[in-house]
Amino acid sequence: MTTFIDYLLGGLGSGAIIALMALALVLIWRSTRVVNFAQVGQAMFTTFIALSIQTWTGSWYVALIGALAAGAVLGVIVQYLVLRPVKRSDTSGAIIATFGVLIALQAAAGMIWPGGSQAFPQPFNNSGIEFAGRVWPISIYDFVVIGITALLVLGLTLLFTKTSLGLSMRAAAFNPEVARLSGVRVSRVLTFGWALAGSVGAVAGVLVAPVSTISPNSFDILLVFAFVAAVIGGLDSLIGAISIGVFTGLVISLVSGYSDSGNAPVVALLLLALNLILKPEGIFSHHKARSV
Amino acid sequence: MKYFLPLTDPILEMVDISVKLSGLQILDSVSIGVPQGTVTGLIGPNGAGKTTVFNVISGFITADSGYLKVDGKKQKHVQPHHLTKKGIARTLQGVGLFPTMSALENVMIGGSSQVRSGIIAQALAMPWTDVEQNRLRAQSMAVLGELNIADAANRLPGELPYPIQKRVALARALVSDPQVLLLDEPAGGISAADISELADLIRSWVPKRTVLLVEHHMELVMEVCDLIWVLDAGKVIAAGTPDEVRRNPAVLAAYLGEDGAT
Amino acid sequence: MVNLLRLPGARFLSHLAIVFVIWAALMRINDGIDPLMSYYLALAAMYATAMFGMVILVGLSGQVSLGNGALMAIGGYVFALTSLNWQTVPILGWQWNPIWSMIFAGFGGIAVGLLIGWIGARLRGPYLAGLTLGIAVGIPAIATRFPEIFGGETGLMLTVPYPAGGYAPAAETVTIDEAPLAEVPLEQAPLDEVPLEQAPLEQAPLDTETAGAGDMLTADNFPSAESSPAAGDMLTADNFPSAESSPSALALPSESALPNDIDPTAAGDALLAGSAFVLERWQASLAVTAACIIGFFALNLVRGRQGRIWRAVRDDEVAAAVSGISPAGSKISAFVVSSFFAAIAGAVFAQILSYVGPGAFGLGLSLSLLVGVVLGGRASLGGAIIGGVLLVALPQLVFNIAGDRGWPANVTDNAPNLVYGLLVVLVVLIAPGGILGSLKDGTRRLLAKSRSAK
Repeated sequence: MTTFIDYLLGGLGSGAIIALMALALVLIWRSTRVVNFAQVGQAMFTTFIALSIQTWTGSWYVALIGALAAGAVLGVIVQYLVLRPVKRSDTSGAIIATFGVLIALQAAAGMIWPGGSQAFPQPFNNSGIEFAGRVWPISIYDFVVIGITALLVLGLTLLFTKTSLGLSMRAAAFNPEVARLSGVRVSRVLTFGWALAGSVGAVAGVLVAPVSTISPNSFDILLVFAFVAAVIGGLDSLIGAISIGVFTGLVISLVSGYSDSGNAPVVALLLLALNLILKPEGIFSHHKARSV
Repeated sequence: MKYFLPLTDPILEMVDISVKLSGLQILDSVSIGVPQGTVTGLIGPNGAGKTTVFNVISGFITADSGYLKVDGKKQKHVQPHHLTKKGIARTLQGVGLFPTMSALENVMIGGSSQVRSGIIAQALAMPWTDVEQNRLRAQSMAVLGELNIADAANRLPGELPYPIQKRVALARALVSDPQVLLLDEPAGGISAADISELADLIRSWVPKRTVLLVEHHMELVMEVCDLIWVLDAGKVIAAGTPDEVRRNPAVLAAYLGEDGAT
Repeated sequence: MVNLLRLPGARFLSHLAIVFVIWAALMRINDGIDPLMSYYLALAAMYATAMFGMVILVGLSGQVSLGNGALMAIGGYVFALTSLNWQTVPILGWQWNPIWSMIFAGFGGIAVGLLIGWIGARLRGPYLAGLTLGIAVGIPAIATRFPEIFGGETGLMLTVPYPAGGYAPAAETVTIDEAPLAEVPLEQAPLDEVPLEQAPLEQAPLDTETAGAGDMLTADNFPSAESSPAAGDMLTADNFPSAESSPSALALPSESALPNDIDPTAAGDALLAGSAFVLERWQASLAVTAACIIGFFALNLVRGRQGRIWRAVRDDEVAAAVSGISPAGSKISAFVVSSFFAAIAGAVFAQILSYVGPGAFGLGLSLSLLVGVVLGGRASLGGAIIGGVLLVALPQLVFNIAGDRGWPANVTDNAPNLVYGLLVVLVVLIAPGGILGSLKDGTRRLLAKSRSAK
């Protein structure tokens, strides 16, 4: 039983990071009906920028803020240059284009930051906390990750419920035509959604980098986990993305603990397949994934 | 009161069908019959549930209660793509043609249920698949010819005028040689001259085929129908011959009510 | 007038003729080029085989799949496992033959395609893309999880089923007895590129056993796993990027060390074997033949009723359903066909590499199939051929340019992928029909112009 709890605790940090990345996917899906498969590419790119900033200034906080800004800018660039001009009738086009962006970003990162995998400095102690006579599988850094995630979620909740900008975003996502008629500048609101998602993804990247390493491809698996979480959560639902994201982190930790970390992607895939067979519209959504 | 009039020999029957979609009662215990060899109309103000009736018959929507009878046989698990096998064909609102295919190819798709050869025979291009296709192509050309649009065969739908597109869609439904034709607003968006031609066409099919017609164009409905069902707010409010329906105060009220609302 | 092309059987004959002409031409070309070019031809044909399936799945049936690399893995592993086990133990008295393993690989692909198609047919675009993305990552992960069966991260070494007597250019005819000294292929082999020291000595058994053994493909002619590890040893594990040495799951294979590292040793093998046997030429003839057979099936399907049905469901599911077509059935059939093609391509890939492993069939391979078919033209089979050539030629072109300019390695290595990524975006935005679609549009516009000018 204690090992079970240990595994659960150990999964909280990675769960928070998956939740953030899933959140970024959901933010864009809600506003533009596109699953941005380039999201991890953007996060990887901004994390490299953060690494450069950290090396240059020596401050993790400055690096985090730099990543936030760079993530927003990159999100806007991708939306403006790639996704907005895609023809509406070409339903496969948007999906293919996001993969094109992913491939290009990874190659560009490989050119700009050579040398393969790089370590991202540990901003906080990442060894287990000693408490009540034993070492727990959760570190100060895990608490920082969970704290930042909670802050972001709180901020987004306030944005969507208390501000007029958030209201416009919800209106534009729910029914762009009506929103446009009632004076919402829909395209500007959509662009803001991409910026927001870019920042959230960037934070996820900066948070995960110190516990893994950073290379052009190191976040690929994160894309799979985040996509699984977002889809099971319903793709439309912020709460779904966060709760299923954390849940996915816990499951991965349990699977890695009891068997082997190599099984995690297989288990994630099984979860996804099961969900798509049983409840394709996701747990937290009322919309239908079916086309007819 | 289940039926407004005694039905003789109904080829298609809906019995007590109720449908609820996202909390709204779209159809409320609707019972409708289509006598064999007639043109039967289904009219009603916007939002009355006419297209939902078609969708239930075609299997796009599963009724919460009630059942469907085709040729006296109760239907279970109706699937859209099984429709043509039962001898029922349907047109869609608008045109619903495949934009990347020629008119002829569109019509040939309508004959899919007659094709027997499987995917392995197709992959090997066995000679009998050619025989099948040639037969289907000849049938399709014949139907296009009947509708006087044979010269449109090799054009893409986008290159054709709207009334011709509607005829291609009609041809796609006819090529499976259906016993029952469900026509969803065939007169929508076409000119008066074309509508009178359409009326002649529809009358020419009966009594060999049976037609169920959803239409807003009242003159057409009154001209071609033997029997008319009137739906309002998911309920059958009247039925009868065109004259009976025209004189029915409930029908008038339903339509006036709609006019008053808009 | 009777349309000759509509006569029963005419489609079969005309498609067969088209495919045969292409096959004969490619085989002829294969005999005249140096082994490195043959190797590239083999790869391009193998990519095209898999991308015929992508044209059907992505182009015609409108389902974006990132999992076809994993479906190739199914074919590769089934081929490897059946051949490794079967080569040593005949089943019911049947001696092993690579054809059998390829057929088994195809059936493996069909089975997995049915399963994925069944789940996927219910899903819209991004859901399906995500599911297949998971498959692209998950299936290679399964291979690593069961190392005792699948060889884990290092994969499985295969003994390439060389034909008895070697593969000599047709011009030289098969002169098995004179095999030891065949002039032409030797001269053509890029001698300067061959690190002779590296070539393993185990080639000897191959040479002696095969010489004069006749044309029959018997188990004795193949160096089996135990008796001669020759083929396996040529490709040391170092040549393959394992997950640790190269964490680039997304790296397109062109960028990985795979093809380029094999060449020199393989060429050395041919040299040291001292016969007319040129491995690359044999690989190319195998890959080209497989591509032509699959291409024949694809041509029949695409230019027939089935192609029309796939396009109908892609264009309008509701209209297709009321016309008597099952949308789900049509989508599943596209998945099954494309995964059958992918599995055959995977079996060919396994024979080209003499190896199967998770690194060779990763997400990068899946992505490169998508890239290739989008760039070439996703709506027609010609696009798959262009895509196959592009996937092989474009990296070489970029490497050559980079080499001339003296770019640093990290820039050179990533340049092809940057070009791929940007091109994919540009093609989607500007020319959704890909290179082939643009060419067709261009000629149509030119024709229209010349007609209106008259």
